[in-house]
Formats: sequence, C-alpha cells, structure tokens
Amino acid sequence: MRPWIAAILYAVLGAITFVVCFPLLWAISTSLKPKDEIFRWPPTIWPENVTFDAYRELLFGGSVASAPGAGVPPSAYFLTWFGNSIIVSIGSTIISITVATLAAYSLTRFRFWGQRSVPYIAILGYMVPSVIFVFPMFLTMVSLELTDTLFSLILGYVCITLPFCLWLMWAFFRGVPIEIEEAALVDGATRLQVFRQIVLPVALPGIIAASIFSLIVSWNDYLFGRVFMNSMENLPLTVGVMHFFDGTHVDWALMMASSVLMTLPMAILFGFMQRHLVAGFGAGAVKG
Amino acid sequence: MRFRLSDRQVGVLFMLPLILAVGIFLVWPIAEAVRLSFVRYNPLRPDDQPFVGLDNYLFVLEDPLFWESFWQAIVWTGWSTVLQAVIGVGLALLLHQPLKGMNAFRGLLLFPYIVPTVVIALNWRWLFNSEIGIVNHLLLSVGLIDEKIAWLSTPSMAMASAIMLNVWKYTPFVVIVVLARLQTIPTELYDAAKVDGAGVLRRFRDITLPQLAEVLAVVIVFRTIWTFNKFEEIYLLTRGGPGTSTYNLALYAFDQSIANLRMGVGAAAGVIMLVLLLAGSMLYIRVSGFGREDKAA
Repeated sequence: MRPWIAAILYAVLGAITFVVCFPLLWAISTSLKPKDEIFRWPPTIWPENVTFDAYRELLFGGSVASAPGAGVPPSAYFLTWFGNSIIVSIGSTIISITVATLAAYSLTRFRFWGQRSVPYIAILGYMVPSVIFVFPMFLTMVSLELTDTLFSLILGYVCITLPFCLWLMWAFFRGVPIEIEEAALVDGATRLQVFRQIVLPVALPGIIAASIFSLIVSWNDYLFGRVFMNSMENLPLTVGVMHFFDGTHVDWALMMASSVLMTLPMAILFGFMQRHLVAGFGAGAVKG
Repeated sequence: MRFRLSDRQVGVLFMLPLILAVGIFLVWPIAEAVRLSFVRYNPLRPDDQPFVGLDNYLFVLEDPLFWESFWQAIVWTGWSTVLQAVIGVGLALLLHQPLKGMNAFRGLLLFPYIVPTVVIALNWRWLFNSEIGIVNHLLLSVGLIDEKIAWLSTPSMAMASAIMLNVWKYTPFVVIVVLARLQTIPTELYDAAKVDGAGVLRRFRDITLPQLAEVLAVVIVFRTIWTFNKFEEIYLLTRGGPGTSTYNLALYAFDQSIANLRMGVGAAAGVIMLVLLLAGSMLYIRVSGFGREDKAA
C-alpha cells in the first residue's frame, strides 16, 4: 500500500473513531465538571476545574442502611443497584449457559426425535422481542408472588439470554471434532467422564463467549427491571439511574458519572473478550 | 456401588433442562400472551378474566394510535436499517485494510454495541439538549445552523435523534458480521482481477459485493426484525414523544399494558407484532437457506 493512501486511511479512521467515541468522551468530561460549569454557554470542552464530586456522591454518598426511609436521595442507592445488577446478570447467565451447554452437547452427539426443530426454536426465541415476553412473565410472577425479587429478574433474563446461548453453544459443538471423545469411549471412559474431562475444556472458549454475551444482555436490560421491580432497593442499575430524572432539575454530572460507572464493567469485559466477540458474531450468535 | 448411566440416558438427561426451560421461558409466555389477547384483564380483579373474542384486536385495529405507531415504526426501521447497512459495509471495508494498529481501531469502533441502552439514551439527551447541548453548540459554531434546534421536542428531529442513536449503537453488529465474511473471500480472486486490469471500483462491484450479498441479506433481515420491535431505545430517549410522534408498536403495546392497564389490548398488539415477526423470519429462512443440510449453521 502506498504511504499516502495509508495516511488518508488513518485520517479517515481516526476521524470516524473520534465521532464514535465522542458521546462517551463527552460523558466523562461532563462527569468531571462542577455544577456551575455544566450550565455554561458555550460549553467548555474539558472542565476548567476538575472535580470528582459526582463520583463521590455515587460511591460514598452514604448507604441506604445508614439513612433509611423517605428523603433518601436516589444516588444513595447507587451501590445497591450496582450489586443487584451483578447478581441478576451472573445468576441468569449461569442458568442459561448450563442449560444451553448440556443441550447443545446432547444435540450434536445423539440422535433423537424432534432434534432438527431445536435450532428453529432457538432462532425464534432469538427474534421474539422482550416486550412480548415481559407481561405474561410478569403476571406469572404476580401469581407466584415473586414480583419485586431479584429471583424473578433472573428468570426474566433467562427468556432473553437462553435462545442465543443455545444457538452459540450449538454452533460451537458442531465444530468440535468427535474423534477424541470416541477414542476415550472406546478406551472405557463413561460418557460423563468424557463430558467433564474432554468436552468441557474444549468447549471453554465457546462457554466464555456465550457467557459474555449473556452478561452484556442482562446487564443492559431495562424493560424487565422496569416491569418486575418496585422497591428502590431492589432495582437493577438501568432502572435505578432513570430515577435521577425524577427531581425538579437534572443533575447532569451525576447522570454522566453513573453512565461512566455503568459502562465500566462492560468495557472491562469487552477488553478481555474482543477475540471471542468476533468469533461469536461469526457464528451468528448475538442479540441486538 | 457407582451409579452408571447409559449413553442414551445421558443424551436424554442433558436435554431435559432445555425442554423444561423452553416450556417455561418460551412456550408459556407466548401462549399466555395469546390467551391474554382474547380476555379482558382487570388488574383490580385478576381472577376474573372474561373471554371477549376478538374485541382486543378490533380495538387495536381501530385505534388511530396503533396505525400511527405502525407507520412510524416503518420509518424508524427503514432509515435505521439502511444507514446501518451502508455505514456498516463502509466501515468493514475500511477495517479490512492491512494497516498497523487496526486491532485498536476495530475495538474502539465495535465498542458502542456493548454500551447499555440506558447509558446511550442518557448521553443522547445530554448531547442533544436544546439549551446547552454540545451538538447544537458545534453546529452553531461551524455555521451549519443559525439557531438552536429543539432536537427532542420537535417530532421529526426526535425521530432523527432516535434513528441516530440506533445507528450509533447497532452499526457495529453489521461491521462485525461483514468483516468476518470479508476475511473469508479468497485473495486469489482479487489477484486475478488485478492481473486483468480491474480497478478498485470494478473489484468492489464484481467481487466484493457479490460475495457479500448473502451475508448482507441475512444481516438486513435480522436488523429489520429487531429494529422494528425495539422498545428501550425509543422509550428511554423520547418516551414516544413529543406527543406520540416517535411511538412504534412496542411502545404502543407497553403503553396499553402499563399506562392504560389494558393487558389484553397490549397482548393483542404483541401478538400482531409476533405475526409480523414470523413472516419476517420466514423471509430469513428463505434468504439464508437456514435448515438446509449443507449450510444449517
């Protein structure tokens, strides 16, 4: 490639990358501004006086336990919501991945009636929007008296994560050669031993990829949390931070600081998983 | 004594959780949604659910807001999908160039996909704030506009902002899929074309595009279906407003169920969405050849 072409490509890529990253850079800049500077016109691109007040308020603004009852600002719940989101994301991911891994293995190694319809079911579940699932699931939770519990949210997220976990694990196991397993079986190993000692280690990259997708989808969901949960202390992060809009004036620094903190875990996961992400997308397993 | 399972039992045992889960998390909610669409549901008397036949469907189909939402959903889906496909292919071609440090660019350009919708919606509200938002400031200072645009409180601009949000977040999806396909096009094709004297544009038109056609068709069907049914992107940005100018069917169904407490009507709207979606997925199966023995994956 000629140097001047490369130079143009770099310039174009740089410009596009800047535009794409701008909303988040702007969020970081805003989150570090003191209140009077936020409302200045024209806006300052980078804060003249950097302050971490917004982050301090979210992370050390006093916990709910120390000041219970009404009058607690929503920001005091931030860490509780953060914890809730972690619990429900991990909980639903464990369920979806376990179910999907076992079934995908069975689907690719055994023959049985109805087998061929399973991928169709997965792809259907994959396309059905949450807004169709959420109300029937909600009414079921009401009759089971499970609403407003983290457990109900975990079950709700299985609805949206299971189909693509199954899809991804299925695609993955199809690509794993069966010969090693057969050799082990011939040598007298039981099916369960083969699964634990040979299949699971080989399947690990697929499991990691599917888990990351599942974590992202559950962490990012808003609808289920909005419909299922009531109490402030039980909300997931996504639903919680929307309460920052409830006051008479909007505290944009607080809003942007919570945006940054909320994106952070996903950004860290993303850093680890970039390789897997592409592999997973390649297999067509992604929810959008 | 050690408990030993036969091969066949293991196969069945491993399938059981899935069968159970599909029953609980897929079949049951959809069946319930269909059932709800035929009853009147009163949240104050949840046990009393009289069968009302097609009343809920008639209500939906006679509701002007439903049709408004439907047409707005088409505008929203059409623009979003076209922009995502065009920008996505362009970016993928760019990211496919053999340059140093390309992995860093790839990472940064794919990043929006993992950002929570709530975060993007909050950022958008801030960026497009009509009084002190940076977008108005930048447009004013470059001279593209003469006065501040009320992005989120004029109907067409609110729709445009929502579409921009959707394009920003989901173009990476197109990029990754197209990029993966680009990497499998044999380089010999390009070498041969070069020998024959084909320029960059000819090579793009005669090799790249035909090779991408299939995967692009699949991506476009997927994006169309998903975008059409999107809820959070619009709800969190505009709540369907100003007025009802950015409603789509998902917002309509949500609103009927939650704000108007007409679960039956909401469910009927949901079932109509589901029917449209099934039609769409038929298209997907056709386009992709999914389920054919040779390319079932």
